[in-house]
Amino acid sequence: MNKLTKRKINRSIRHSRQATWNIYSPESQIKHPIQLVKIMWRDLLASRELAWRLLVRDISAKYRQSFLGIFWAIIPAVVTAASFTLAKNNGIVNIGTTDLPYPAYVMFSMTLWQTFVEALNAPIQGVTAGKAMLARINFPREALILSKLGEVFFNFGIKLILIILIFIWFKMPVSTSVILAPVALIHLVALGTFFGLILAPIGALYQDVSQVITLATSFWLFLTPVVYPVPSGGGLFGVIIKFNPVTPLLVTTRELATTGIISDPIGFWIASSISLVGLLVAWIVYRISMPYIVERISS
Amino acid sequence: MINLTPEKVIEPSPDNSEVVLSVEGVSKKFCRDLKRSLFYGVQDIAGELTGFRAKSDKLRTKEFWALDNVNFQLKKGEALGLVGKNGSGKSTLLRIIAGLIKPDLGTVRVTGRVAPLIALGAGFNPILTGRENIYANMSILGLSTKEIDERFDDVVEFAEIGEAIDSPVQTYSSGMAARLGFASAIHTEPDILLIDEVLAVGDAKFRAKCNRKLNEIRSQGSSFVLVSHNVAAILGICDHSVYLSKGNMIADGLTDSVVRKYEADLFIQEQEIYHGKVYFEEKTPIASSGADIRYFCFKDIDGNIIDFPEVGEYVSFCVGCKIHQKIDEIFIYFAINDLTKDNESILVMSSRFDKKCIKTQLGELEIQLQLPCCYLRPGTYEMAIHLQKQNSYAFDIVSSLRFEIKDSHKITYLNGRNLFYHPRKWNYLTTKY
Repeated sequence: MNKLTKRKINRSIRHSRQATWNIYSPESQIKHPIQLVKIMWRDLLASRELAWRLLVRDISAKYRQSFLGIFWAIIPAVVTAASFTLAKNNGIVNIGTTDLPYPAYVMFSMTLWQTFVEALNAPIQGVTAGKAMLARINFPREALILSKLGEVFFNFGIKLILIILIFIWFKMPVSTSVILAPVALIHLVALGTFFGLILAPIGALYQDVSQVITLATSFWLFLTPVVYPVPSGGGLFGVIIKFNPVTPLLVTTRELATTGIISDPIGFWIASSISLVGLLVAWIVYRISMPYIVERISS
Repeated sequence: MINLTPEKVIEPSPDNSEVVLSVEGVSKKFCRDLKRSLFYGVQDIAGELTGFRAKSDKLRTKEFWALDNVNFQLKKGEALGLVGKNGSGKSTLLRIIAGLIKPDLGTVRVTGRVAPLIALGAGFNPILTGRENIYANMSILGLSTKEIDERFDDVVEFAEIGEAIDSPVQTYSSGMAARLGFASAIHTEPDILLIDEVLAVGDAKFRAKCNRKLNEIRSQGSSFVLVSHNVAAILGICDHSVYLSKGNMIADGLTDSVVRKYEADLFIQEQEIYHGKVYFEEKTPIASSGADIRYFCFKDIDGNIIDFPEVGEYVSFCVGCKIHQKIDEIFIYFAINDLTKDNESILVMSSRFDKKCIKTQLGELEIQLQLPCCYLRPGTYEMAIHLQKQNSYAFDIVSSLRFEIKDSHKITYLNGRNLFYHPRKWNYLTTKY
């Protein structure tokens, strides 16, 4: 059977199957939550292949236009680590002792922090880059987010090379709990995605949002134990750090990969629940807002 | 695909089982003030999320109805034309049908795969090769990798890209990129194709190929919604049409009558159509540059003034001139544009190129351009008349004179493919054995 007739048969099968109608009306979707969740799940499954395509497209385009290529994923962490080690060794900053060698501590933590920030920026970047497509084609909107998250994990994969090199260089022991580290990392990424996704609709309308995010993350970095260890004492600073949801997730990932002793399991589970529930809520917000965003960004 | 409201499965009732798209009382508000529009967007999202969206049938400040109570149905294998001026809401309607934006009132029901040909080459990345872009683009249009693999060769062949398929798209000519976009979109084999002014891609040969392909997929049962300013394109493809003006449905029904109504409105709103003899204001000898056009009229074979030429009949274009000075060589030319085809220039007739310039004396002069048979098809045209000296020095110009060509004897077929009327005879020579 040649290709053409085969395709015609496929086509007729498709036609005979078609009994489903897509209905577009002004009614709010939120009033039918069960169906909404069902459709969200269906679209998530449907968007996997497209997300993969977009991921391949974006990554190949990115590296074809770059001379240093994957080094850009590593360089920021190395530079930050180098400058803080220099500052610390010369007594410019006063940082308490860390349970890991300090340069390794900063580089590893910085890598985790970067992954969090990338996850935070991913949804807005995805929507902004996909504006032209969003305005013209009705594809599962989840694909944009999935492909960006894929990119976050891809970048982390490159950073992993750096992390492994650090472990070897500083002869750091690895406990068996390292196999659980990816779980904590996923929760960290989920937290970033939650914040990013809930801001994405507004971020697509107003440029201010990405400006605020850039500003906020650079400040946020200093409220998270990335370049310094978790402070033991109280005080306002200690409290802020404790209530920063990034802290338990980032610290636990680090601890699982290195010492294997989790200092704040309760904090970890609270932050994880916030991330996962928040992510679901943000997803609903994102889905429901999308037609309104498309309406405003493209006439 | 995203469903803007929860999906319901409706068994189509037997009498309208062939309906694939139904637009019922659809209205949509728009706002041209950007800041306000963004704010309304936030307001709508908030309303939608809480489920207490303010009733959307009231206009807020600076809003207007981009679409107001539009109704129509599309059956399987049918083609529907959307005509209307820019800003009449055609594209908005297409975007609601595609499920990109929600209607403020009313409902759209649609079944099967909808492919918007609004979006040629959406998601093309100039850095990547044509091959990679085909995969990305068709994937966005909703095909699985397996389906793309099956169609890949056809797409490349149709787009006439050849060897360049493995070069980055940024090295392509604009025509090549457009062809690739069209080829990718058309090979998704949609059930409903939304076409928005895209039939103008590529050169004439490729356009013809696109039209053939469209006919082919239509004969396989796909339905079209076609948006165009080009009335001829609509006439050639669509059985039924809807005429929108400022978001209102002015007319719907058979394409013929809808298009006629649209054209009538279009020209009435803009300018009076010329009938009978038209006089132009007389210039003072100082304002005049030597020779002035005084009047224009059509005359029939007996020299009587007529309101409009008839297809296939004798007509003469008569221009009355007043000459203020002796001129060695004066010539006249007529440039005619077809208003039903995007005001495209279709005919230029010049007495200079025909080597019929004359010397003038002071006084009055009537220049007659005699056409033994009017080849122009019925429709509305715009004419410019230039009265000139040889070195392109214009004495007087009449820039836009609208006139009609009528076909009272019904000798032409109303068909988008006939660009002009050719006089003809049929003859049958039979030989008996």
